[in-house]
Amino acid sequence: MRPELWRRLLPAWPVALLAAAAAVAPWLPGNPYRTDLGAVFTAPSAAHWMGTDGLGRDVASRLAHGARVSLTVGFATAAGAILVGLPLGAVAGYRGGFWDAAVSRVIEAALCFPALLVAVAILIDPPAWLRALPDPLRVAAALAALGWTPAARYLRAEFLRLRGSEAVLSARAAGAGTLRIVALHLLPRSLGPVLVSAAFGASAAALAEAALSFVGGDTPTPTWGAMLLEAMRQSGRAWWLALFPGLALFATVYGLNGLAEGIRDWLDPRPQHR
Amino acid sequence: MSRVGRIARRLGTYGITLAIVTLIVFLLTAAFPGDPLEDEADHRLPPEYRHALRAQLHLDDPVGVRFARWVTDLAHGDLGVSSRERRPVATILRERLPVSIALNGTAVALIILLAAPLGIAGAWKPGSRWDRIARFGTTALYAVPVFWTALLLQGLFAVRLAWLPLFGTSSAVGISAWSRAADLARHLVLPVTCVALGGLAYVSRFVRTALLDATGGDGGRAIRARGATALRYVTHHGLGQAAVPLLTLAGFLIPRVVSGSLLVEEIFNLPGIGTLMFDSVMARDVPVIAALTLVTGIVTLGAVAAADLLAAWADPRVRRAA
Amino acid sequence: MRTETLRMASRFSRAAILCAAVLAAAAAPGCAHPAPRADLNVRMVLFSEPTSLSLIGNPDANSSQIASLLSDGLVGYDAQCRYVPMVARSWELSPDGLALTFHLRDGVVWHDGEPVTARDVVFTVRKVQDPATQAREWISSFTDIAAIDTPDDRTVVVRYKQPHADALDGWRVPLVPEHVAARDSDFLNGAFAQHPIGCGPFRFVDRVPEQRIEIAAFDKYWQGRPSIDGIRFEIVANDRTGYEALLLGQVDLMGLPPDLWRESLSSPRAASLARFVYYKLSVWKIDWNQDGSNPVFTDPRVRRAMVEALDRPRFAETVMAGLARPAVGSFLPESPWTDRSIAPIPFDRAASERALDEAGWRRPPGGGVREKDGKPLRFTLMIPATSQDIVDRLGAWVQESIGAVGADVHVEKVEWRAFQDRRRKHRFDAALAINVFDATPDQFDLYHSSARERGFNYGGVADPELDRLLEAGRTMTDLTARQDIYRQLQARLHELEPMSALFQTAQPVVHDARLLGVASSPQGLLAFDPGPRAWHWAGTDSNR
Repeated sequence: MRPELWRRLLPAWPVALLAAAAAVAPWLPGNPYRTDLGAVFTAPSAAHWMGTDGLGRDVASRLAHGARVSLTVGFATAAGAILVGLPLGAVAGYRGGFWDAAVSRVIEAALCFPALLVAVAILIDPPAWLRALPDPLRVAAALAALGWTPAARYLRAEFLRLRGSEAVLSARAAGAGTLRIVALHLLPRSLGPVLVSAAFGASAAALAEAALSFVGGDTPTPTWGAMLLEAMRQSGRAWWLALFPGLALFATVYGLNGLAEGIRDWLDPRPQHR
Repeated sequence: MSRVGRIARRLGTYGITLAIVTLIVFLLTAAFPGDPLEDEADHRLPPEYRHALRAQLHLDDPVGVRFARWVTDLAHGDLGVSSRERRPVATILRERLPVSIALNGTAVALIILLAAPLGIAGAWKPGSRWDRIARFGTTALYAVPVFWTALLLQGLFAVRLAWLPLFGTSSAVGISAWSRAADLARHLVLPVTCVALGGLAYVSRFVRTALLDATGGDGGRAIRARGATALRYVTHHGLGQAAVPLLTLAGFLIPRVVSGSLLVEEIFNLPGIGTLMFDSVMARDVPVIAALTLVTGIVTLGAVAAADLLAAWADPRVRRAA
Repeated sequence: MRTETLRMASRFSRAAILCAAVLAAAAAPGCAHPAPRADLNVRMVLFSEPTSLSLIGNPDANSSQIASLLSDGLVGYDAQCRYVPMVARSWELSPDGLALTFHLRDGVVWHDGEPVTARDVVFTVRKVQDPATQAREWISSFTDIAAIDTPDDRTVVVRYKQPHADALDGWRVPLVPEHVAARDSDFLNGAFAQHPIGCGPFRFVDRVPEQRIEIAAFDKYWQGRPSIDGIRFEIVANDRTGYEALLLGQVDLMGLPPDLWRESLSSPRAASLARFVYYKLSVWKIDWNQDGSNPVFTDPRVRRAMVEALDRPRFAETVMAGLARPAVGSFLPESPWTDRSIAPIPFDRAASERALDEAGWRRPPGGGVREKDGKPLRFTLMIPATSQDIVDRLGAWVQESIGAVGADVHVEKVEWRAFQDRRRKHRFDAALAINVFDATPDQFDLYHSSARERGFNYGGVADPELDRLLEAGRTMTDLTARQDIYRQLQARLHELEPMSALFQTAQPVVHDARLLGVASSPQGLLAFDPGPRAWHWAGTDSNR
């Protein structure tokens, strides 16, 4: 099992690398905040191996520090979405009937809300307990507020489909309790779509964080999304501003995707036909 | 209960959902700091004029009153007046909805057309070189920020090659409906490509996963034992089994036809719903926000209902359970 | 299986080579500049749709500019923002300063051929005063009118309730034809707003919402038909898209943001464009909240020390691409009202540290943030969330520079309307924003103590000397006395530094080099005389 698990999780190595960089960022050389007005928009060089931005700040250290925010937002959003969506979807899918109707109505209502409005509503004047959270978690909360709906719906649909399957029926006949059935028989087979949507949701959250920068927050904390937005306004000229955060984002998406699929495969190993 | 009765009950439930959602939207927007008349220019107005303007736009009424007035206006088919543009909301929607539908609708259709084969191919030979290339390629497309794609495409096709227009929905052309339609189509090629490229990764990986889930397990083994070829097995049997999650995905994609693509609209100067929603939220333009919520709500609920109905029809187990 | 894959691979690589070839061909230099023009229109980029074309209703910056082309007012601005006669050929102010008499000139006609009369002037005023018109830009000029008479078709006598030194400014309002607009029940959205009629050098032709607006030269304009055939305003929200369109020759004229300007300076494709820069009526400023909620900014020495810690020339040079200069207040150096002997506060970190020491903010023995009476020198700089990078850069730069002299600065980015809301309610320590002003010297709304609640006095300044000067300046109609008042005002402002103006910004403009006669005023390219009437394509006359 052990080497099997490692092999499954290996595709996520880019994410692990970025997370490690994020963790040790404060101790890395280079200062993401120090401006150097004489070196505005310089291309990658020996001094700044990823170049500098519009205030002469080192892109490489901003990337590492930015990883902290961007990765936290991504993971926290995905975690929040799963924490809320999974139980709701499970209840609706397994119980059916009244519970399904109730949860489905809630999901439908949540789907009708304009996502932008809700995110802005949460961030623009947050209640005290939310304000006490660090910025990335606050943004994650705003994004997860409506972001749990895909997970809930996918899980519900899968549960509805699978709860009449032979494995479940026989387990129930053998006297297994609800929790055991759900955890052992239903969840492993249903997590596929949920994991894929979570992997993409995490990366979308990192990007959305930048889009939400107009609502306020702490500056000038660097984030990948903010760097990409600045790059957008420079494009053609300061290609390094877009390339490196873009690569980081790509690595994150790719790695998370691999991770998601690896976890799915591990949870529910099937004979793969070649 | 009869079929008609069930549908009527569903519709009634949706009506209540929409009513509650729009009420909450009213409450949320009212709770925002800042004000539709916060412009400095509006501050230059003498106080009496500002009060008259506020009264005209009903800005100082309590939220409940504003909501009630909005509902009664809606019953008469009146969507109100935008506090930002100071002209009827219905006119604004009539101008912008077709653009968004053309852009996003085409993109969603394109995504489904392209991603389905990619996903099927990935499920047919998981782990193969093709599967890995597809995964790498589509993820790369996804991870490249949409504005980068837009600028690259613009740079290549509109600037260097000058095959396609740079922005907007129309250039000055003849008056005939055909040339207008062709012009619009030309203007939409680049934006649609941008939106579609981004969505490919998600949908194709999703299809692949759903198919793999569906084709594993006992039933799959049994059918394979009967000797059906792998590809046919994946498409016929797999799609049938995977219909449920796929339809759920479709239920999420369809509402995007009337709501998404803010950045693409901005870069290509397409007056669509994405930028309208953004501007309205920033300007606290309640009538427009409410109208947009209504429109996206109706489309969303319709898509969800359709997805559930089709899922019940496609997969008998769901039907039995529902 | 293997062979199948191989075949696929070779097909794939062939396709790849083909793609590469296409891309390589495409990478060849773009097509040459198009041939000399047959079309004598000018295509100009607008970054947002004008809110209204009704000439006076619900205006924003774009609609005001276009309105000034469609219809003249009684007076207008020249390139230095001095008043020039337009529909009014002369005017007199009565000795008591309460009555202003205009004499209209003959030969001014509306776009439909009807003559402009004094009745149209009265109608315009009534429309502006009507709340339904929402004539934000003009209404404050007309609230103090006691009566308005028309002894004959060519004379208008306006009586004010009190003397207004800037009374003439309101009469730049574009005139609205009574015989056309009086029929409209909905002025803002009705027939007139869809197809406005004016008496200006250009007449309205067509509008495609969110896409373009077309105006054409008016043959019977009283100063003569403009040389160009018309102007087509293309609405392009994204500045890079507009820039590409300009390089492709799809548009002829646009204003550039600083980052694109910097790029265009070294871009070979932009080498053939004509370019110039002009200073706008706007400053980047920081409001210091002086209501005492944060003890830091109640002392003028501290406020001044903050600015002394900023190396403004260097920032303007590097980050703003030279498109800014250190500002003193809201008077442009070119303005006749400016006291040019007052120089911008120089960058002097040592002086800043000394001033803070003198004001009682001392660094603790081990170094670090300054303290006074046990309180640290700490404040939050509030910046608005906009789509411009410059705001973030300004905030970060201010934070770092002032941090270097021993203050603890925290930057908070707030959504735009929430930002305005908090500023108005004085819920901030320091607020950075851009201030757009007009060409009149009146600063009442910025510094008068009554403007704390009803104006733009966000910092809460309340100085009796300032109040006296501001009130006097508003009603002093004698030019020399007025100039003296404003010199005293600027001296007092320099002493107090209640609001720190950081930079005046310049607007770069690029255009097709064959378009000649493009000039600017602080109001922009359009809203002054002669403005676009002086534009002409190379090879045509400047007068037709």
